Amino acid sequence: MTNEFLSHASLSSLIAELVATGTRVIAPVQTEDSPDRLEYKPVCSLADAALAAGQPRLSLKELFLPSTEVLLSYRQTKEGVEIREVPTQARPQVILGALPCDAAALEIVDKVMSWDSKDELWLGRREATTIVSILCPVEDSNCFCTAVGVGPDSVRGSDVFLTPVEGGYLAEACTLKGQSLLEGRTADHADPEAIAEAEKAQSAARKKVQENAPAIPAGFSAWLTENFGHPVWNTMALRCHGCGACASVCPTCHCFDIVDEHENATEGVRRRNWDSCQTAKFTLHSSGHNPRPSQSERFRQRIEHKFSVYPRRFGEMLCTGCGRCSRICPGGMNLVEIVGGLISLSASNSGGAGQ
Amino acid sequence: MNIYQPHLMRIAEITDETEDTRTLKLEFKDPAVAESFKFSAGQFGEYSVFGEGESTFCIASSPTRKGYIECSFKATGKVTQALRRLDTGDTIGFRGPYGNHFPIEKMKGNSVVFIAGGIGLAPVRCAIWNVLDMRDQFKDVTIVYGARSVGDLVYKRELEEWSKRTDLKICLTVDPGGETPEWKGEVARVPTAVEKTVAYAENTYAVICGPPIMIKFTLPVMDKLGFPAEHIYTTLENRMKCGLGKCGRCNIGATYVCKDGPVFTAAEMRAMPQEY
Repeated sequence: MTNEFLSHASLSSLIAELVATGTRVIAPVQTEDSPDRLEYKPVCSLADAALAAGQPRLSLKELFLPSTEVLLSYRQTKEGVEIREVPTQARPQVILGALPCDAAALEIVDKVMSWDSKDELWLGRREATTIVSILCPVEDSNCFCTAVGVGPDSVRGSDVFLTPVEGGYLAEACTLKGQSLLEGRTADHADPEAIAEAEKAQSAARKKVQENAPAIPAGFSAWLTENFGHPVWNTMALRCHGCGACASVCPTCHCFDIVDEHENATEGVRRRNWDSCQTAKFTLHSSGHNPRPSQSERFRQRIEHKFSVYPRRFGEMLCTGCGRCSRICPGGMNLVEIVGGLISLSASNSGGAGQ
Repeated sequence: MNIYQPHLMRIAEITDETEDTRTLKLEFKDPAVAESFKFSAGQFGEYSVFGEGESTFCIASSPTRKGYIECSFKATGKVTQALRRLDTGDTIGFRGPYGNHFPIEKMKGNSVVFIAGGIGLAPVRCAIWNVLDMRDQFKDVTIVYGARSVGDLVYKRELEEWSKRTDLKICLTVDPGGETPEWKGEVARVPTAVEKTVAYAENTYAVICGPPIMIKFTLPVMDKLGFPAEHIYTTLENRMKCGLGKCGRCNIGATYVCKDGPVFTAAEMRAMPQEY
């Protein structure tokens, strides 16, 4: 797809029109309590959006897999039970200024959500959403997207990719959805100067992340599989509180719980809630047996799932290198350091300790 | 209909197996679902009590018995305790069938040994009736079933019925100390009873379900008897929520119990990380 020039004014009127026609537009906005803290929130105009201003505290996950959502509601009657389904069709929405890591995460999680049986709730929202990503300004040293095959200029999962240039954006339509969104909004060809400016910004951003961590080697997934019983796991989780904050902020962690809630004596709902493999009850059997009895096994599950299980099942890592888990961890666990440590270990001890 | 939406089922019959284990016979409320519902021995489902939640059990009845399914459960958690409070005629939810199944087709023309302990008989019972309902298509059938005590034996009427049959060999056993004065079966733990009762012949398959400790000590006996690990089938039961490979709870390494299992061969179990 070709790069076209999208002026600020043109983007501004596009947003205004979308909002006027009932499309929900989501963009990073500065929160009221702290101008440094960004969140993806509905906006009414381009002026409300803080584009390429930093990383929103939470990823886009909430918009597709809400932290809590109703799967069905029920009503007990004399004849039995009546179930009311929730609609799987979602309201159209455009996400403006998505970070490339957050856009890529959606495409990664699509794989498990469409694994044999389709999760229509997730997929319905995906279908109804158009994602306009923007070149990432790179938050800090916790970012390592380039190590896991994403990048600050990665177009994966995006329908349109914007790179800020003088007077507006260089806009790349990555999908048909993106093409139709941009239809008639752009100047056909960006001038060579704008293209050069964009390319310079892209490679600078890329270089900045690459300095944080080297690419994860191809054999890492296999090493993790073979070293499930390695003694390194026994001490790695000592700082982990098991709070699950990492999973909440993670754009690819998708584990959930299903619970029923009474509303009154005869009515209630079945909900799906975010859950985390880091909590002790996650795998607890009703007999009292727990296959992952300590934090060591639970933390190993987190790392194995992201860098070994998912690659084996779906051909890619369940991580976009966004760095949110490292930033939020109360125990100071840093994924760049942890993965880096394991990679060094794998290089020095490729034999492994077996199971 | 989204994938987490259950079918409604009516409790047609309740059987108390032991003091804490109960079997429900369930019928689909929607005749169209009842007509089209198909499953294979070893598959499981998510059973729900509305307002309490969902719980995972195998389908304990045989696919050869049409028009209903059965499940057996011990009242240990929130949902199973709520299930126990329900009465005949009450409505529950059911999603399924999920997972893989016992290779009944592959077993045809061969001998089959069924080994179970405690409530582990539920998935095995499903396979036993499947085989017995097509008895002429299998060679020798052997059943070894044990429980901690006589009172803990489940499906007692069926145990009696199987004991009377001449086309199968059955060994019922209780752990030492669990016998009653009237007990006519063996007094031995399951692995010991297996060693005494089972003889390996060429082309024999084994199905083993029970508490992890029973499986742990029975597998070496099977080795000794000469069963190849590829001919021994068992089921794994991990905590699950979705049953569909999405909720991320039941995996053992890269193996998803809900999708790749719940039926695994002893050879597959040995190749897995020992985290179950």
